[in-house]
Amino acid sequence: MQTLLELAQGPLFRLTFAIMALGLLRIFILDIWGAIEAYRKAGDKNIPWKQAIKKTLGWLFPVRKAFGSRPVYSLLSILFHTGLILVPIFLFAHVELWKSGTGLGWITLPKSWADYLTLSTIIFGLALFFGRIAVRAASFLSRKQDYLWPLILIVPFITGYICAHAGVTPAGYRFYMLIHILSAELIFVLLPFTKIAHCVLMPLSQLVATLAWRFPPDTDEPVAISLNKKGVPV
Amino acid sequence: MNKNRATEEERTRALKPTKKPEVMERQRLPVRYHVEDYDVADRPRRFLEAFAVILRHSNYRFALEHFIRMSAKCSRCSVQCQVYLASGDLKDIPCYRSELLLGVYRRHFTMGGMLKGRVLGDSGLTDEMIEEMAESFWNCTACRRCSIECPAGIDHGLITHLGRYILSEIGIAPRALVVSVREQLEGKTGNTSAIPVPALLDTLEFLQDDMRETKGVEIEFPLDVEGCDYVFFPAVSDYLMEADTLMGIAAVFAATGDSWTTGTGYFDGINYGLFYSDRMLERIVKKVHAEAERLKGKNILIGECGHASRSAKYFVPTYCGGEKALPVINIMEYTYGALTEGRFRLDPNIVTEKVAYHDPCNIARQGWIIDQPREILKAFCKNYVEMEPHGENNICCGGGGGTVSIDEIRPYRTTIAGKVKAEQIRGSGCKYLVAPCANCKKQLRELVEDQKIDCEVVGLHDLIYKAIILENKN
Repeated sequence: MQTLLELAQGPLFRLTFAIMALGLLRIFILDIWGAIEAYRKAGDKNIPWKQAIKKTLGWLFPVRKAFGSRPVYSLLSILFHTGLILVPIFLFAHVELWKSGTGLGWITLPKSWADYLTLSTIIFGLALFFGRIAVRAASFLSRKQDYLWPLILIVPFITGYICAHAGVTPAGYRFYMLIHILSAELIFVLLPFTKIAHCVLMPLSQLVATLAWRFPPDTDEPVAISLNKKGVPV
Repeated sequence: MNKNRATEEERTRALKPTKKPEVMERQRLPVRYHVEDYDVADRPRRFLEAFAVILRHSNYRFALEHFIRMSAKCSRCSVQCQVYLASGDLKDIPCYRSELLLGVYRRHFTMGGMLKGRVLGDSGLTDEMIEEMAESFWNCTACRRCSIECPAGIDHGLITHLGRYILSEIGIAPRALVVSVREQLEGKTGNTSAIPVPALLDTLEFLQDDMRETKGVEIEFPLDVEGCDYVFFPAVSDYLMEADTLMGIAAVFAATGDSWTTGTGYFDGINYGLFYSDRMLERIVKKVHAEAERLKGKNILIGECGHASRSAKYFVPTYCGGEKALPVINIMEYTYGALTEGRFRLDPNIVTEKVAYHDPCNIARQGWIIDQPREILKAFCKNYVEMEPHGENNICCGGGGGTVSIDEIRPYRTTIAGKVKAEQIRGSGCKYLVAPCANCKKQLRELVEDQKIDCEVVGLHDLIYKAIILENKN
């Protein structure tokens, strides 16, 4: 168990974190590159930047926008995301690990906040899971990953909470810590290749949607030629 | 009970096949809209070929790449789609519709999809999937209300737009649209309503006579005048069906004295290419711009028509030289400007009935024209009421995306696609419903008729024509 834990904490962590970081960087750059190319080719370069930025901020911080049509879902989703983002990054224990490993540290969450946020993430994650099953439209659209993600995401929160609180035996602690780390590493690896990629692509979404309607000029002829339709009547 | 949900009886009526079984068998296409006969052999291969070519020569790929990574299937779009709200059919959820095409893209145009397909033995695109897309993409009114609701920014309207383009390249597009575009681009008359120039001249003369009698003032429809400020392109069907709108526009120009003209070389603002083929869209846009240049006009002025305005506003710069292209404005922008500058007056005692304004999706969804027509109406209509939701969040008339031209699907448009709109109109209690769009006008008239709502659908300039104060300069 100890060896496994050391493996998970050491090389496996570095490997999976690198996969995540590079993978996310890759798709982010691809998105930006695609947008630049699209802009370069666009016949109409008049882009309503202000509108796109406003919409982007509206969805990144969905204070007003989110509660229009599905308020319960929106609230659950926002609360879930809040814990999901804040706890892993600003938990005292995590920051300490970064500090000991890299020398870099940053502000941390007060312990009570971290506890509440951990519990709320677990509860709202489960609520989203059951909501997906219960809402007819959502369950119809859902793929396997849509059901699995809320469950996968709360595993490190549950195990982390147990390690931080429950009076478990040292063997029990090592077991839960191992699950905690391995589940987080699984998430790292899957992040760039699944819908959770939205964690880095979200800020580009409105820009992509806006740019996508800026078509390149003079595509009638090349398309017609490629499809052997040059001069063919309508 | 959801009052927007269509009853079983309405659903049956709306979704009834419109074609003979032998036609469906021959065309292998169980859809309600009519399609010209096309090559049915090897459809999946040809679909993928067309898809590949379009991807190569367009900007769609980067958007599709983004969309397949972002698609979270949260179902928020379902609460905004007036088609799904009425039909209750899960396959009408915008996200599901988009997935039909995104799935093909993922499977055939991404490395991961191709590998997965190979490993799982998934043969990929099938005839059945093409048939489902052909049905689904034309159930949508392309109003793009879903797109403003998607947290992931997925533009389902764009995906439907692309899907229709690919289908049209293998011969699957509503005959009503194809025939109109054919006449516009290659026919003798060169416009979608097949109006020859002599008939246009007759119509304009008739309108001038009518205005002289009604208003006691000489009001002109200038033709082929070079160097005007505005070259005018209404939806050409207005010459047949919307006399009051045209007379209202002419009256505004008579009052302001600005120079404007209609070109007899080309006088149609309609662009059905926007709804099914980017190639047609491009060719039509270029015709509009070429006519305005021929007449050495300074601006392209589009009449009361949502899609005509959007086609010109957003695609004249695209296809006609970017910043060098002629500016495009909609007639409501012009009229609003003239009114606020005090260049004409409206009598506030003429229109006393309850008036509501319907936002055409193509000009309101992006926030382009929302307030101007309202300000105009409030300036002279004593009893203006607002429908909720409106503006950018407006509800589509139910005939958007070209579906209004497909007469054989009228039962679908007025019992499912327009059902939510019908409830909204009924709720407003308006006597006049102002719909400044040729497509919306036709659809809403059919909607209020089929749904038995006591209300008259008019254009903005129809009411302006009633109320405008004209001085007899003679």
